Amino acid sequence: MRGIVLRRSAAPTPARALGLVLAAAFAFPAAYLIYRNFSEGADPGGLLLSRRTLEPLSRTLRLAFAVSVTALMLGTSLAWLTTRTNVPLVKLWRIVLPIPLVFPTFIGAAAFIRSLNPGGLANDFLSNVGVERTVELRGFFGAWLVLSVFTYPYVYLPVAARLRQLPGTLEENARVLGDTAAQTFRRICLPQIASAIGAGTLLVFLYTVSDFGAVQLMRYDTLTRSLYTNRLANPPVALALSLILLVVAAVVVVGERQFSRRLPETALSRTNRPIIYDLGRWRWPSLGFVVVAVFLGVGAPLLALLDWAADGLVRSTRGGRPLTIDSAKVIEATVNTLQASVIAAVVAVVAVLPIAYLVGRYRSRTGAVAHTIIISTFALPGLLIALSMKFWTLQSDWAFDTFSDTMALLAFAYVVRFGSLAMGVSLVAVRSVPDRLRDVARTLGASRTRRFLSIDIPVMAPGLLAGAGLVLLSVMKELPITLLIAPIGFPTLATRIFFSFEESFVAEAGIMALVLVGLSFLLTWLLVIRRADHL
Amino acid sequence: MLTGPAANIYGGECVEQDGSDVTIYSGRAENLMEPVFAAFECETGIRLKVRYASNTDLALSMNEEGDRTPADVFLSSSPGPVGFLANSDLLGNIDDDVLELVDEQNRSANGNWVGFSGRKRVLVYNVDEVSADQLPNSIFDLTDPAYEGQVAIPATNGSFADWFTVFRQESGNDVATQWLDDMVANGAKPYPNNRSIVEAASRGEIHMGLVNHYYNYQEAAAAGDDHRAANHDLADDDIGSLLIVTAATVTAASDNPEAANELVGYLLSEGVQRYYSEVTLEYPLAAGVEPAAVLPPLSDVDRSSVNFDDLGDEFEKTNAIIEASGILSQ
Repeated sequence: MRGIVLRRSAAPTPARALGLVLAAAFAFPAAYLIYRNFSEGADPGGLLLSRRTLEPLSRTLRLAFAVSVTALMLGTSLAWLTTRTNVPLVKLWRIVLPIPLVFPTFIGAAAFIRSLNPGGLANDFLSNVGVERTVELRGFFGAWLVLSVFTYPYVYLPVAARLRQLPGTLEENARVLGDTAAQTFRRICLPQIASAIGAGTLLVFLYTVSDFGAVQLMRYDTLTRSLYTNRLANPPVALALSLILLVVAAVVVVGERQFSRRLPETALSRTNRPIIYDLGRWRWPSLGFVVVAVFLGVGAPLLALLDWAADGLVRSTRGGRPLTIDSAKVIEATVNTLQASVIAAVVAVVAVLPIAYLVGRYRSRTGAVAHTIIISTFALPGLLIALSMKFWTLQSDWAFDTFSDTMALLAFAYVVRFGSLAMGVSLVAVRSVPDRLRDVARTLGASRTRRFLSIDIPVMAPGLLAGAGLVLLSVMKELPITLLIAPIGFPTLATRIFFSFEESFVAEAGIMALVLVGLSFLLTWLLVIRRADHL
Repeated sequence: MLTGPAANIYGGECVEQDGSDVTIYSGRAENLMEPVFAAFECETGIRLKVRYASNTDLALSMNEEGDRTPADVFLSSSPGPVGFLANSDLLGNIDDDVLELVDEQNRSANGNWVGFSGRKRVLVYNVDEVSADQLPNSIFDLTDPAYEGQVAIPATNGSFADWFTVFRQESGNDVATQWLDDMVANGAKPYPNNRSIVEAASRGEIHMGLVNHYYNYQEAAAAGDDHRAANHDLADDDIGSLLIVTAATVTAASDNPEAANELVGYLLSEGVQRYYSEVTLEYPLAAGVEPAAVLPPLSDVDRSSVNFDDLGDEFEKTNAIIEASGILSQ
């Protein structure tokens, strides 16, 4: 069953051509950076070797590594517990565990920090139990904690999707032959979910590299901080730093692909019910572990937001500062958020699927290049995606008149920014389609389209939905691209939350963040969980 | 008829839309600007299209867009990004009759920007940790060992950079650079912005911080009685008491400069100035409106030597000095 399928035909020419077009589209930010580095006379090579780059770069890499390892372990263990065990309340956890992804990191970080304020929930709690000292959440530890609890779903979602698809037969055989649950996991499960773990962890790494919101609030001085400080004062330095980020990302992406290429691919069968282990005396400790994770990633920030919202609402009714938002504003932002994220999620999955086929099925070189570009771009802060889109649409009258200030450009920018999220899981999904099934179908005379619709799509569906879900949640909280590229007068929940919070309209930020969480919860449930559970 | 804060700016009947519109890039948040824009639309019939983002990101966008920028007006909460755009020749001239609505020191000598509200630099402090006799008179006192590790600086914030540029101009490069180095040696801590310092001061995470006056009032309004921070005014002639203006500009590429000027003039009208004074608790700059009673009166120190027009040129150097001081990795 671990048989690696050796037969690889060359990709059809139209597919390769499509791959090239897609690669070019996703390369807009990279091309912009390379061009601007030349035109501004930037010196990325010289800058890379200077102290002012190496120190923040090493901090960035240390943080990204630590967050990746934590998210890997957290995401994988949570996925295993919720798909393979009898941990109590498993249905609830499946719905709740992806939610941390929807908190914009600046609001997540702020929720933690602010609740330590006098009057904040954590502060009140601590002083009630007799702790008078204020706790300071900052630096490496603060950034690591916040980024870990808000990014583990990048690992959890694809791994859970993969585990749900794995046939239980192998694991059952191993158990029958006397392996413990742990041995079965290591020898049977792990090799088969390793590619999903790798793809998810890579996203965590690159996201951490690109993050500015959390590290800024935690006052941890990374490369993105340097990039942001220099962006207006010294554009050549900012451009050079961005290029360095991109190159670092590309190296990591290529490394991960080499790693995952060596992994075994397993034919999947949807008819087998996955095996469920009885945790025995570990059942309650496991529940405790899940509860802690959910508390940190969902409960604590949610409580903080509720506190902000309730506090402001009460105060405004008692003659305090009136709210600066009304229901019409919240509804407008909600509708915009929904529209933008659904469009982007659908387009992203459609756009990366051909690349996933080129890489996963044909091992095409074009596909490998496109794959590297798509995923590496995830390390770039959204601001650079936005500026590159502006730059390219300004290169001709036609492009400017056609795309400037349109939903099409906004959706395209989102897809370029977050296509990577759909890329990894789509690749895993394509690799999980058994060639055996395709061969049988071909022998029976099924057309290419028919085979795609009746074999590939059903097998890949959970993976593709997970990819769409990841893009959806990320777009819902996206900030810099929305601010600069969206048609004028297109406020989203994230943009209104950001401004409210930055100007200390904390209640407004809390109310709209709650709406954002509620909305994403609903969508995750509809698109990812309900669907995946039926499989 | 308008409702809410907008009705306090303009209480009359709305006129028909006249078909013209003005596009605004606003570095000032929607929560603060929306009532002003609503009042303007109602009173003039000119439609406004607004893109809200950070001052810096909007300036970067306009730099990419060049003469294709859709923006007619750019509003910035600190003068630095305005200087950056002026250097790139992206700003047009504001009409003289609009410029003359404010004092000479609060507008550009070149006529390409005008201040429309002011935010004063202050020292914010935690009222439980710091007693009145411990408060300094000058920013130069803060390099004293008595304040070791107690002071926060919004080192990467635009308005701090602008303040530091003026500091360099007024006291000389050496003095300003030395002060910052001494602050770093004395354990000053970097924070991303004014708001986070006020919040940290209220929490007691930091004892005091150099910020502008405005955020303490906003945080106090948001946190109510739980708020434990207060503003302290340094001496009137101290650079730590500088007033920094928020600036309005008309772009060189504007295809409707007339309406754009009308909007900028509107920001300086009595109704809007009163809104800034009473609702957002900033310092009004025009129409004879007095600062709110809760605010300390502005000093009459003559700062006519300060040239905000240089902020764009000097921005890069200021940034380099701040980075070189090592404050960011404290």
